[in-house]
Parts: sequence; structure tokens; C-alpha cells
Amino acid sequence: MIKAKDIYKNFGELEVLSGVSFEVQQGEAISIIGPSGSGKSTLLRSLIGLEEINSGELYIEGISVKESGKKAYEKMGMVFQGFNLFPHKTVLGNLMEAPVIVKGEKKAKAEAKSETLLKKVGLSDKKDSYPAQLSGGQKQRVAIARALAMEPDIMLFDEPTSSLDPELVGEVLTVIRDLAEENITMLIVTHEMGFARDVSDRVFFMDHGKIISDTVPEKIFVNPESERIQSFLTKILSQN
Amino acid sequence: MFDYIINVSGYILEGSIVTFQLYFVTAIFSVIVGIAGALGKISKIPLLESILSLYTWIFRGTPLLLQLFFAYYGLPVLGITLQPFPAAALTFIINYGAYFTEIFRGGIESIDEGQYEAAKVLGMNYRQTMSRIVIPQTVKRVLPATSNEAINLVKDSALVAVIGLGDLLRSAKVAVTRDFSIVPFIIAAVFYLIISSVIVTVFRKLEEKYSVYE
Ligand SMILES: Nc1ncnc2c1ncn2[C@@H]1O[C@H](COP(=O)(O)OP(=O)(O)OP(=O)(O)O)[C@@H](O)[C@H]1O
Ligand SMILES: [Mg+2]
Repeated sequence: MIKAKDIYKNFGELEVLSGVSFEVQQGEAISIIGPSGSGKSTLLRSLIGLEEINSGELYIEGISVKESGKKAYEKMGMVFQGFNLFPHKTVLGNLMEAPVIVKGEKKAKAEAKSETLLKKVGLSDKKDSYPAQLSGGQKQRVAIARALAMEPDIMLFDEPTSSLDPELVGEVLTVIRDLAEENITMLIVTHEMGFARDVSDRVFFMDHGKIISDTVPEKIFVNPESERIQSFLTKILSQN
Repeated sequence: MFDYIINVSGYILEGSIVTFQLYFVTAIFSVIVGIAGALGKISKIPLLESILSLYTWIFRGTPLLLQLFFAYYGLPVLGITLQPFPAAALTFIINYGAYFTEIFRGGIESIDEGQYEAAKVLGMNYRQTMSRIVIPQTVKRVLPATSNEAINLVKDSALVAVIGLGDLLRSAKVAVTRDFSIVPFIIAAVFYLIISSVIVTVFRKLEEKYSVYE
């Protein structure tokens, strides 16, 4: 589904990804954890073309990003920490925009699909609201539905709950958990360790631009193989 | 007295036709210049950016009256002679275009980077992103500054009287000299106030319309 081989990425002098390689199979849910600045966001952003990699190879569903560029990204959706909803459009408008404008879907069809998605994230009654009228948790659920409206095979989440008040985290995680059960392929950067442990098939631990551990959650949380991971987990769990 | 007021008002109203023509020609074309200039300024094409910076620097940094004199009295020296109205319209379009370039550029740049990223990951191209996501949000943000310019333009339009265009103010002045009465100036002031108030109202309605989403 996704194959990354020896990805390097610099910002000027700063090397942020230092040879990242991994494979993700159809239907897998992957959590990416690691200290701040280790390159987690940069990795997700590189996968979907928001950052250009300096070297390495990237295949999305067998399509080489180098050779076919934009086409490879079409299969992916992304959800941001800061939601990035379109403030001048209603909730329904946010969902319908890309299917109608990019894919050329008929409005009626896009609307029906959008309403189904809103129901799924529990926001049917908010379809005519503007983003400014929603809580953070509701905004993020709209953002997830908006990404799903393009019918992606792969969803990328970059700290989807980090800017939410604690009491709103649960409703967003529930939606993501439901997606995991539908076998959508997912990569989730998160600091929610309990969630990572529950939903992921595998956990990537990143440090200094490398994936230093790629293993099942039981292993990493119960029996971390390195000092580095252990100290990170101790620190983050004591914060929560 | 009443008859005199009606009479002079009619005379000044005739002059205001030129004012209205200049107003609408300038408003339409300077906004177009401003949009093009703003897109050029954010284009990240260095040469284009430099040229546009020079343009806004000159036209925002020198008096409009000087620019008007330059177009009407200066260009003939170089062999280009313009009639008063084209000279005035050209000067106003270029001058206001420079202000709108900076206002619109500021508006576009105030849109969060996340909007571009969200549009991109949804598959939108540059044109779709600008026309559907960025520009509509920019319109709302630049409305107050645009409203100011729209009112300034009403007042600046009176400058054309100095190159002999028979506009609202010039008609008033002619009547004052002819009749040795101050009334025409008062009538002119009332006209300007009415025009400004209409413009303020229009922009307030627009701002209300755009405020639904925040
Ligand atoms: N556009 C950029 N220009 C320059 N440096 C950048 C840019 N984006 C990220 N960086 C740097 O790259 C490094 C990795 O950043 P990244 O955002 O990928 O880390 P992260 O693992 O997501 O961290 P966090 O947990 O804080 O979100 C950091 O040192 C960051 O300052
Ligand atoms: Mg990050």
C-alpha cells in the first residue's frame, strides 16, 4: 500500500528525515510516536506531497511518486492538528467542495454522500453551521469527514487531538477508531499512548529523523527494546 | 432663493456626471489592476515582484495631484497628448491600482498557510485554491480598507477640476464666481456627503453579508 525507501529530507542545513524506510499493508493502522522535532510531521507531509523529499523512493499503491507525482497523492487524505476547515463555507460546503470541484461530481450526489458522512461522525445537525460555530472536537470530526468525502484509501492524521480540550479528545478518537475497524489504511501521529496501543497494528517510534522501532504495540508499550523509548514513554505517561 | 437652489443644483448635477463616470471607470479598472498586481506580488517571480514594488512605491509615495499634472501637462512634452478625461482616468486607475495592489496583497498573505495545505491535500490546483478558497476569504478581510479607498476616491475625484474637467466641484466653483454666492459650494458639499454616505452604506451591507461566517 505504501512503500518508503531511504527517504531523506533537509530544511536547509537541518536534516529532518535521515533514511526512513517502511512498508504499510492495506488496512493497517500505524501509530507514529516520538519526541518533538523527531520528524513525525515531516514524514506524513512528505508522504502526501506537502514537502518535497530530497532523496529516496516512495510508492503509493504501487505508483511511484517520483514518476507520476500528483496522481500518487490522490489516494490519500490528511487531517491536521489545526483542522484547517474552510471558514467561509458551511459544514456541508466543506465536505462537498473537493468532490464537486476536483472530481466533478454532481452536486446532488456529493450532497447525499456528505450527509452520510456527517451522520457517521455524528454531526448531521450541524450541516448548515459555519466552522466558527463549532467546538474543536466537532471541527476535527468535520475535517475527518471532509477528507473521507474524497474516498481515500489511506488516511494520514497529524496529532488530530493535540489542540483539543481534554474533554473533547474522546469524541474524535472514537471516530478514528471506527475507521480503523473499517480497514481504512491509516498513519496516525499521536501523543495519546492509550489510543495508540488500542487501535494500532504497529507502532513506529521516531527519533532524530529515523524510525528506530517498528513493532506491535504490545512490544513497545509493555517491553520497550531501548532505553530511549523507555525514557520517552515514562516522560509522556507521567504528563497524562 | 428656492428657485436659485434648484437651478444651481441642476447645474452642479450636470457636472457630477463627469465625477460619476470617473468614479466608476476608476473603481472597476483599479480593482482589476489591484488583483493582478497582488497576484503578481505573491507570485515569487523576483523580476515581477521588483517591478510591482517599484510601481507601488512611486504611485503611493508621490502626490496624486503631481501624477495628474504629469499625465496632462507632462506627457505632451514627451509627445503624448491626452484629453482631460482620459488623462484623469488613467492617472486615477494607476494610482488607485497601486493602493489596491498593496491592500489585496496584504489580504491574501493574511490567509493561513493551512488553507493552502488543506486545499492541496484535497487535490485542488492553484487556480481552484485561489478562486474557491483564498480569494473569497480575502474579500472579507479587505472590505474595510477597500471601503476607505472608495470614499477617498469620491473626494480625490475633485482634483480633476484643476486640469479643466467640468466635474461636480468645478461646476460649483463656476456658479460661485458667476453668481457671487456661497450657496453652490454648500450644495456641492451636500452632494459629496450624499455620495459618500451611499458608499458607506453599501460597504456596511457587504460587511454584514460576509460576517455570517465569523
Ligand atoms: N518548514 C520548515 N522549515 C524549517 N525547519 C522545519 C520546517 N518544518 C519542520 N522543521 C524542523 O524539522 C524538525 C522536525 O519537525 P517535525 O515537525 O517533523 O517534528 P515532529 O516530530 O512532528 O515534532 P512535534 O511532535 O513537535 O510535532 C524540527 O526541528 C523542525 O523545527
Ligand atoms: Mg508534528
